[in-house]
Amino acid sequence: MITLTADKRVLVAEINNDSLRAAQGSMVAFEGSVEFVGAKMGGGDGFRAALKRRVAGESLDLMEARGTGRVFFAEDALDVTVLDVGGSRLTLESDHILAVTPGLRLDVQFAGLRGMTSGQGLATTTVDGQGQIAVKSDGPIFGLEASPGRTSSSTPTPTSAPTATCRCRWSPGCRGSPSSARAPANRSRCGSPATAWSTSSPRSAESCCSNRSTTR
Amino acid sequence: MLFEQVNNKVVRAHVTAQSPVLARRGAMLGYSGAVAFRPVRGQGGGVGGFVGAAMSGESNPMMASEGDGAVLYGYKGLYVTVIDLDGSYPLTCEADRLLAHDANLQTSVQFVDSGGVRAAVRGAMTGQGLFTTLVHGRGPVALLSHGGAFPLQVTGQWPVGVDPQAYVGHTGNLTLDLKAKVGFRDLTGRGSGEAFTLQVTGQGTVYVQASEQKF
Repeated sequence: MITLTADKRVLVAEINNDSLRAAQGSMVAFEGSVEFVGAKMGGGDGFRAALKRRVAGESLDLMEARGTGRVFFAEDALDVTVLDVGGSRLTLESDHILAVTPGLRLDVQFAGLRGMTSGQGLATTTVDGQGQIAVKSDGPIFGLEASPGRTSSSTPTPTSAPTATCRCRWSPGCRGSPSSARAPANRSRCGSPATAWSTSSPRSAESCCSNRSTTR
Repeated sequence: MLFEQVNNKVVRAHVTAQSPVLARRGAMLGYSGAVAFRPVRGQGGGVGGFVGAAMSGESNPMMASEGDGAVLYGYKGLYVTVIDLDGSYPLTCEADRLLAHDANLQTSVQFVDSGGVRAAVRGAMTGQGLFTTLVHGRGPVALLSHGGAFPLQVTGQWPVGVDPQAYVGHTGNLTLDLKAKVGFRDLTGRGSGEAFTLQVTGQGTVYVQASEQKF
């Protein structure tokens, strides 16, 4: 049994005789008898997932926290949000994954043009099953509700986790005046009923981490 | 309350004639009232403290804020955590994490030789070097951290481990021991990334930051 709770930039995981997958090296402290081991092939998702990930370049280095106790995870002072997954599929960039509970399966999906133009690469990660996922982002994330009658847009880079049923289509050119600085030139659009998650910063977790390490 | 948190990254210190405040030089953001700033050499504790601080590299240029008023402190956008020391145990931390503290508190530099080679290795791993700073007395201390520091109570009932790079400081009767568990997988980069942990035993509070970066 695992319960994830996020406290701003720290993820608290209560693990009761179970095993939690989390980003490699993201543990900052723990209480209890918990051991940390590298995750099995493909981050615990098997050979197929490992191969797809390798081909797609969706790198995901996971470890397993096993045992009973309370573990604190945090990375580079990034904000942490816990999302409940169940029923519908969650799509996100693998850089944003901090921890996933055992009931969830991670897979790689071809993202197409949207992924390319938003600088996220050709593939995204999908999350299926029942459980909780902890997402890290530069700045807190917020949800944009999308319904068939109403499209909601977000600039492509911050889209950290559009949920499943939301088909994010890439729409070049903006509505409104192109010269307006406020209107983003390119947006991801969500058509169907779903929630798109967006951060307050246009940097993805990955790029913000690499920026920080170079300026240090 | 002498120190008041304005937001995550700024602290307001109320300075009176009885309680001046020592702060990292250049960390003053603004002030109100009749407050004067004076540079302070060394870590206090007289000539010994000064020489010790200079030798160990455990020193930061500090300034004293004296007078009557309120001073705002902050540094490089880092998170600030205020810890109230009750006087029973000193706070152990790095000198460069000290943003401000009540001038009635004493700081001293400690050589880690008490722990022998193991402590030296621990210092090298955590990036703390061979010296740490102890803050003695009763009063508030403002500590800098990347991502904010949270307290973790150590009771002895459970084993507690802390990532060496995320360790900020501790109070109480605690022993910190670096535990290495390096396997073949770690060497090939397929390990857990947690080959080294600081094992904390005893009774007290350890402060952990939400990042593994030293600023």
